Parts: sequence; structure tokens; C-alpha cells
Amino acid sequence: MLSIVTRRVSQALLLLLVMSLIGFVGIHSVGNPVFNVVNVETATVEDIRNATIALGLDQPLWRQYFLFMENVVTGDFGTSYVYHLPAFKLLLSKLPATLELAVIAMALAAPGGVLLGLWAGRHQGGAADRAILRGSVLALSIPSFWLSMMLILAGALLTGWFPSGGRGATLSVAGQEWSVLTGDGLRHVFLPALALALPNVALIARLARAGTIEVERQDFIRFCRAKGLSSRRILFRHTLPNISIPLVTIIGMQFGGMLAFAVVVETIFAWPGIGKLLIDSIQLLDRPVVMATLTFISVAFIALNAVVDLLYAVLDPRVRLST
Amino acid sequence: MSIAFIETLRSRMPRGSFPFSKALLGTYILIAFAAPIIAPQNPYDLLQIRGWEASAAPGTLGGDGYIYWLGTDGLGRDIVSTILYGLRISLLVSIISTAVAAVVGVTAGVVAAYFGGWVDALVMRIVDLQLSLPTILVALIAIVTLGPGIDRIILAIIVVQWATYARVTRAVALSEIGKSYLDAVRLLRLPKRRILLRHVMPNSIAPALTLIPIELGHAIALEATLSFLGLGVPIDKPSLGSTVAAGFQYLMTGQYWISLFPGLALLGLIAAINFVGEDTRSKLDPRSKSL
Amino acid sequence: MIKQIAQQPLLELKKLTISYRSRSQTRPVLRDVDLRLRRGEILGLIGESGAGKSTVGNAIIGLLAPEFVHTSGSILFEGRALEAMDEEDREALRSRRIAAIFQDHTMSLDPLMTIGAQLTEAIRAACPDLSGKQTRGRSIELLTRVGIDNPRERYHSYPHQLSGGQRQRVVIAIAFSGTPDIIVADEPTSALDATIQKQILQLLRDLVAETGVSIILVTHDMGVISEIADTVVVMRDGLVVEHGSTATLLDHPQEPYTRDLLAAVPRLRLSSGKRADPAFTGADHASADDDDEPAKRAAILVVSGVTKAFGGTSFGWSTKPRKPALQDISLELKPGAITGIVGESGSGKSTIGRIIAGLETACEGEIVIDGTRVDVTRRRQPGGMLGRVQMIFQDPAMSLNPRLPIGDTLAESVRFGSAPSTDERLVISVIMDRLGLPMTFLTRYPHQLSGGQKQRVCIARALLARPRIIVADEPTSALDVSVQAEIVELLGQAVSQDGISMLFISHDLALVQALCSSIYIFQNGSVVDDGSPEFIFGRSTNAYTRCLIDARPERFTI
Repeated sequence: MLSIVTRRVSQALLLLLVMSLIGFVGIHSVGNPVFNVVNVETATVEDIRNATIALGLDQPLWRQYFLFMENVVTGDFGTSYVYHLPAFKLLLSKLPATLELAVIAMALAAPGGVLLGLWAGRHQGGAADRAILRGSVLALSIPSFWLSMMLILAGALLTGWFPSGGRGATLSVAGQEWSVLTGDGLRHVFLPALALALPNVALIARLARAGTIEVERQDFIRFCRAKGLSSRRILFRHTLPNISIPLVTIIGMQFGGMLAFAVVVETIFAWPGIGKLLIDSIQLLDRPVVMATLTFISVAFIALNAVVDLLYAVLDPRVRLST
Repeated sequence: MSIAFIETLRSRMPRGSFPFSKALLGTYILIAFAAPIIAPQNPYDLLQIRGWEASAAPGTLGGDGYIYWLGTDGLGRDIVSTILYGLRISLLVSIISTAVAAVVGVTAGVVAAYFGGWVDALVMRIVDLQLSLPTILVALIAIVTLGPGIDRIILAIIVVQWATYARVTRAVALSEIGKSYLDAVRLLRLPKRRILLRHVMPNSIAPALTLIPIELGHAIALEATLSFLGLGVPIDKPSLGSTVAAGFQYLMTGQYWISLFPGLALLGLIAAINFVGEDTRSKLDPRSKSL
Repeated sequence: MIKQIAQQPLLELKKLTISYRSRSQTRPVLRDVDLRLRRGEILGLIGESGAGKSTVGNAIIGLLAPEFVHTSGSILFEGRALEAMDEEDREALRSRRIAAIFQDHTMSLDPLMTIGAQLTEAIRAACPDLSGKQTRGRSIELLTRVGIDNPRERYHSYPHQLSGGQRQRVVIAIAFSGTPDIIVADEPTSALDATIQKQILQLLRDLVAETGVSIILVTHDMGVISEIADTVVVMRDGLVVEHGSTATLLDHPQEPYTRDLLAAVPRLRLSSGKRADPAFTGADHASADDDDEPAKRAAILVVSGVTKAFGGTSFGWSTKPRKPALQDISLELKPGAITGIVGESGSGKSTIGRIIAGLETACEGEIVIDGTRVDVTRRRQPGGMLGRVQMIFQDPAMSLNPRLPIGDTLAESVRFGSAPSTDERLVISVIMDRLGLPMTFLTRYPHQLSGGQKQRVCIARALLARPRIIVADEPTSALDVSVQAEIVELLGQAVSQDGISMLFISHDLALVQALCSSIYIFQNGSVVDDGSPEFIFGRSTNAYTRCLIDARPERFTI
């Protein structure tokens, strides 16, 4: 068990290192951020040079990277060229919005998906199964940005039931603003959460269905039937625990995926989270913020992955009890 | 999977369980080819665009007697024509990138499985790295690194997708390599190239082939998403995604058709591909175990 | 013998007909099967693959797959027709009074639940009135009864922490937990080693005597039948060929099919004296030459001090103890002879075969083939072992490239073998003819051939490469017993006609005795005993060798 933990953590760290390198080199090759800092029309050569030195851009690339890594380790990604705030602090201020969006979306998606998948899997080949399968293919075919726009069209513009964007009223708890704590905030969060949840319902349902069919086909389930167990007991004590292992994996991964897909949904719903921050910063060439955001999403995702793997080990005695 | 197995399955499956989606996909491909002939307007030709007829509602009669069945966009481009031309870009980008990704991925997977050792470790670490991140994030990183443009989009999609093929193919190739027919072949000291091309590859390729339609759908969606975020194809050669994106600002003022219809066209295309893919896969793998 | 025959049989099948229905066709799997089971009787249901014997078992427990349709006839339990009852009664009857034991012990238990919990829930399903403490007590009692050591500790173990034999014991405990009237056991010991198999069969026998339960034992193995069944039903292609008491049927089979089936079972000869079985000419040939040539000739293969350790860990079922795979193995193979390697699963017998063929490496040791030393620690060396040694593998279904026609597979063997021929077609046709394979097979694909035919193709492929040595790794264990005899005969002929030498790896003592001129016994990666068949089966005092011999069904030991 301990070896699994150490191996997983070292893998995650390596992954992060490679990520940061690729990200750093990548963003470096796109545009010169100096022109965001100085006024392009009035700046003299001298101004530009001063700004370049101020931003540390006169150093060779590898030294910039090491400098950057040194700062990253201490949580310092530099100062936003646009907002003139520390990038990491800026990011943190946007984080609660994204988190609450993702959590609500997963709270909608996971139970719905699991139930649909179980239902379909237990009635394989039936009308409900076929409907759920086809529905899931359709749901997975909708591009999320278009889905978001259509939700705005249907849920806000045509009916006026929900607001078309923004975060609405928030309540400050523990130094952060939360929308979920106000009625208005909840109305604002509903449409974007739905947009994030829908493809995940389909994905989780498909996986739950496949898992159910796979597990129920196994000999030990047949043996349980031969043992005389009720089908309820077989479902809850044998089938569900066995499919929960792949389900936990996919739910964990998809939660991370939501943080990333929030990029699209937040942009459309003008939801002030880290996804919108990332896209805005890419377009404004706000390098420290882009780096901070990409690094943060990657770290969150990799950490989540590691947690899921460890959870997997906890759930499965074959992994847990192997030495 | 043995051929016998597949054949029994084929005989048991009703043929064309999704005939509608096949017909739809065929129609899409046909009209994408025929776009320059059947489109009433060339949306890339500035001379043909009437700026004064911008944002016309569906059914409006245009100045030259042509009815804008689906309306015009904010620049006065006929939506029908934009969809037809956008379809070409979407299909071109996704087909090229999927094909290249499949070839690269399958080759990498087979090679990794056969040679093992550090080759395998290297390939699989890269694959793990990529697959452990959400596709949209990998694509964003790739685009941020590579810059915008159609060729960059294609490259970004290849970067995103090859890993899936590699992982799937490697897993199958590994199990094939564990079978004794490959031991027998090794005992005959066949040249490596022959072993790979004649024995390992043909027996390991089936799952990758069934992935192609699904990945094609992903590629179209990914291209559209990147274009929507303004990181994809340039606005003067709009794909379906960037057309929808351009309509976003008009959505709020009630001109829904600019994003609704191209979006529907996009959804229809992706859904048709996915249904056809689902169909082929359930024929090949009755357990539809994979996602 | 339990012979208090109640007037009414406990279970009776009357003209049971079951069809397999697919979209394209409906095909009968069972046709007019009649069968009677008395209380306390062990009924053996034997047949080769495709006989429909498992379908009978599944029909009785009520676990037929939906494609199988009960067309006509009936299943009577204590005189009441199961198919006439309503769903609820039928299921209640089945869950209370009919239990099952499946073949694959790795799959019969839920991997995520302790064996105690699985046993407890079975007891609770059968007797809901027991208190928690009583249920637990009964679980421990059952575990003790089926021979689990430290039942109190084992109660909290997960299935993967037990050995195969222990797992099957737990499965038996669960089957007996509800004090059923009938247990349907589908190949309950086929996945186990012979020594364990013997113990499990003994356990079943004892439990029948104690509890008066009846067992329907589905198997392909005449040995198992001879060990514990009271009566036997022989099946073929969905029909009952013959039935009768075990003693009568084994001694005086009436039907030709039963006779053939019995004749094909290899017999171990313990009475010292001449070995004269006309079926195994290869062995006769080899042993006839015993005195003059091969014994004096220099060995074509000398293995000395080969040691290999397993690296890495694997998650999943632990079927093998993690130990050095091979320890200081030394053996010899004389030219033109067949040397046998015998051992149970995990003994390393396959590993040494693969090392000799050059498919795997060892940590240390030396192999000399035909006077040339080969580096066993390096793989795929040019001019090394690969090529001089060919192999025949256990599972013919996996031994041929499914996407190549047979002709291409064989041609490849000629072209890349050690004696490429200019006239591939001729060379191939000669071998095909010798092995009884029609030339029309050349354009067929492996899936169009039966298991025995595929194995013949594998023999052809090995011979066409013109090796000096053939390693045959359990070449018959995936085949039906009647096919097994043909393949063994062909292997013997191949050695005598082509002047090659063979290493024959098997778990079946009788086969090895019939075919080999010298034998090595493997246990846990070491050679524990070796010598001529006369020595091994006649005079050896090695405890493990005796244990293996004792595990053989007595009925097929002469």
C-alpha cells in the first residue's frame, strides 16, 4: 500500500514538472507581453527595454524557467500584466466560483448517470436500455458551447426563467463569495451547471451500464443467484460495489474534466471563474495568469487523479492487500 | 478477436440498425463535397456578401431575389452557404487529424508493445501524461504553444488523439504477443518488420478501427470548441464552430438563427458519426465495454 | 453403497429438449434427455466438448442463458414439474434445495467481499431465523468441515488471499450452507492440480455420506467419474448415449462410443513389466532402441544449473507462490528420444521449456544444444537457440495467427526454418499427408478447423521448420480425450521418423509414461526426481513422486 502511494505521488510530481516545462516554453513562443505593459504608440525603445528588464524577459529562456519554477514553488507566479495583481491571488479569488459550479454539476450528473446506467444495464436490450443508449450518444454529440448557448436561448431569453449570465448575489463566508448561499445565486448557477452536467450524465450512465452488464455476467453473480440471494441483495451488496470501482475513477476524472470544460461554459455564461480568466488571459497575452491557471488546473487534475487511484486501492482488496 | 467470432456476431446482428444515421452521414459528406456547386453564395468572397443585408431573419427575400432560408449572419453572409462551406472546413480538419492520429497511435502502440523495455516505458509515459489531462486542456496547451491557424488546429487534435489509439492498440498487442502463435513466429526467427506487419498489426488493429468514428466526432467537436474560443480557424474562413461563435453576440439581441442553425448542423454531423460508430462497435464488441 | 432407493427419484428429467436460439437459426442442444437422480447419489454426467452436459446442469439450477429455450420435456423435482410451477415457487425451490459449484474458483467468489461475509449471507438466505451469532458459528463450522485451516482467521480473508484449492473449498462450504438436496457441480476440480483434485473429490464424497445430499457432477474426465460417481450418464451431441452404474459401465461398456471414450483414457502402468500399448508406437520405438543407441550417444541437449527468479509484482489472483521460478535445473535429452517433464501448475515446467526454446531468459546456467553453448541470459541472439528448437503449444486456438490462412502459416515455417526448400508446396503436402490433413485446409483460416486439426497444423508447422528439438508444452491438455490419443500418436511418429528429439511437458503421468524414455519430476522450480519410466513408476521412493502417482484415479492405473 505504501509503495503504491509513493509511486503514485512521484509519478504525479514528474508529470507536473513536464507539464510546467511544456507550458512555459509554449507560452513563451506566443507574442511578446511587453506590448501589453507599455503603450505601443508612445513607447520609446528605452521604455520597451526597461519594461523587458522589469519583466525579466532579457534573461535566457532556461534561466527564466528556473526563476519561474523557483517562484512557483513559493506560490509566486508573478504579477498579472493586465490586472496588476499577483497572478496566484487573482486565480484564488476566481476559484470558489468554478468550484461551486463544478460541484453542483457533478451533484446533478453522478446520481443521475449512475441510476440511468444501472437501470439500462439491468434491462439490457430492452426499450429503456435502447433509449438511454441513444440518448447518451446524442447528449455526448452536443458541443458544449452550443449547448450552453441553447440553454441561454431556451432558459433565459425565451422563457425568462433564469438569468442569462453572471453570478448573481453572493454571500461572503470564510472570506470568499459564494453564490449557492443565495436564492439569486442558485438561479444563476443552474443553467451553467446543467450545461456542464449533461454530457457527464451520459458518460457516467454509459460506464455504469457497461459495468453492470460486465459484472452481472460474472460467475460470482451467477453463484450468488445459485446461493439463493435475493436480486436486491445481489444488486446492492455485489453488483454495486464491483461497479463502483470504475465509477469512482470516472467520476473523479470527470470532476477534473469539469474544471477544464468550465473554460467553455464560464466564457458563455460570463461566470467569473478560473476558466473565463484563462481564456481572457490567453487572448490578452497575460502570461503570468495563463501560467498560473494552466498550472493550477493541471495540478488539481493530477492530484485528483492520484486521489482516485488511491481510492481505487482502498476499495479493491486485491490492490489494498497486495504487498 | 477471432474472425469466426466476429462473423457469428455479424450474422446475428440485424443489418444497419441505425440506417438513418448512415444516410445522414452520407448526405453530410455529399453536400460537403458539392458545397461550391450547391451553395447559393460563396461566403469567402467579399464581393458576394451584402453587408446591408446583415442579420436578416430566416425567410427574408434578398436583394438579388434569393430567399435567405436560414437568414444571414452579422456580416450579411447567407447562413445556408456558411453552413455548407463551414462543413467542409470541419470535415477536412477532423478527417486529416483523425487519420494521422490513428496511424501515429497504432504504430506507437504496436511498437511499444513489441519492443517493451525503455521504448515501451517512454511511449507509455507520454501517453499517460496526455491521457491523464482533459482533452480540452491538452488542446489549449497545444494551441497556446503552437499558435492559431488551421494547420495548428490539426496538429493540436493529433497531439490530443494519438495517445488514445496508442494505449488501446498497445493493450491489444500485448495480449496478442502473449499468445503462442507469436511465440511460434519468434521461434522461426522472422524479421521484426515481418512479425510486426504480418502478425502483430493485423491482429491488434480492430479496436483502433472501432475508435475512429468516435474520435472523428471528438475531433469535430474539439475543432469547433477551439474555434469558438477564438483559438481555432481564422474568422474569414469560418468553420461551423466559429460561425456559431460569431452568432453568440447576436443571440442576446434575439437573432438566434445565426448560432442555432450552424449549431444544429454541427450536432447532426457529430451525432450521425457517433451513431454510425456506436453501430460498428456494437457489432464488433457485443459487450460494448469501452466507452 | 447407498442403495436405499426411495420409490420416487429426487430429480428426474423426462425427454428434456433444449434449443439454442439465435437470430439466424434454432439448433437443439439437448434432445430427449432422460435422467434420474436418487437421494444420496452422485451422478456423473460425462461427455466431450459440445455434448450438452453443462446445459443439463444449468437447466437444473435455472441459470440457462436467455438464448437457450426449453422446448419440450420436463424437469421433475420430487415428482413436481419445475416448468409447471409459477416463477416464485420455482425460484424458492431452487434457492433452498438446489445449490451449485462452478469450475472456475477464481470467478465464483465476489473479489470485494470477505469469504466470511459471503458464507454468512448464504446461510442467512437459507435460514433467515438464525441469530447473528449462530450464523457466524455455523460459518466457522462449515469452514472447518470443508477443511480450511484457521477458519477464524480465514473468515476475514478475501478470496484472492486463498489458494485455488482453498477457494474451491469455500465454494463447497457455501453450496452446503443451506443444507440443499441437490448440488450441481460443473467441473468442480478441472482447474485444480491432481493432488488437490483428489482431496476435493474425497471431501465431496464424505459430505454426501454425512448429509445425504445428491450430486450431479458434470465433467469431461473419466478419472473423476471413476473416483466418486455412483452412476454415470454418457452424453454426446445432446443425446444420452448410455447410462448405468459406474462399475458396470466402466467395466462393460455397451455402446461403441463409450468404449472408444474409455479406451482413449491414458492408463498408468505400475506393475513392472513390458509396456505394450499399440496406440503409442513412438514410445515403443524409443524404448526398443533403449539398449543399443540413444543411451550411449552424446546428449543433444544438456541443461545445467539453470536458475530464474521472477521479477515484478502482479495484482490480481495469486495462483502461484512468489518464489524463484527455477532453481538449479539440470537435464539431458538424448538424440531421437522423448524426455518427459512432469509437474503441477507453478512447478516451472513450462518456464524451462520456454528457456530451452529461447523465448525466455534465465538468470544463470548453461544450455548446450548439439555441441553449441548458448547464452541463456541473453534473448534473441543471432545464431542462438531460436530456430533450432521449435515448440508445440498447449492451446491450439491461440497457436495460429487467426488472420493467416493455414497455407501461409506453413509456408512461412518452411521459408524461415532451418532448411528452406525451393519447392515449398511439395514439402508442405508431404507433411500434411503424413499428419492426415487434407490439402484443402491450406486455404482455410484457423477458426474453420477443430481443435485437433489445429493442433495437427501446429505439429506440421514445427516439423516444417526442420528443428533438432521440439518442445511440446502440454500439447494435448486443451483437447478432448479421443483427440488427445491421436495427437500423442502423431508426436511419437514424428520423433521416430524425422530423427528429432522431443521434450514433452505434461501434468499427465500416464501420457508421459507411454511416450517418454526418461522423465524429470518438477516441484516448485526444482527437479525432485528423475530417471527412466521403469524407475519412476516402479522403484522410485521419492515422496512427491509417490504423491503424484497416488493422486491418479485408481481405475485407470494398472
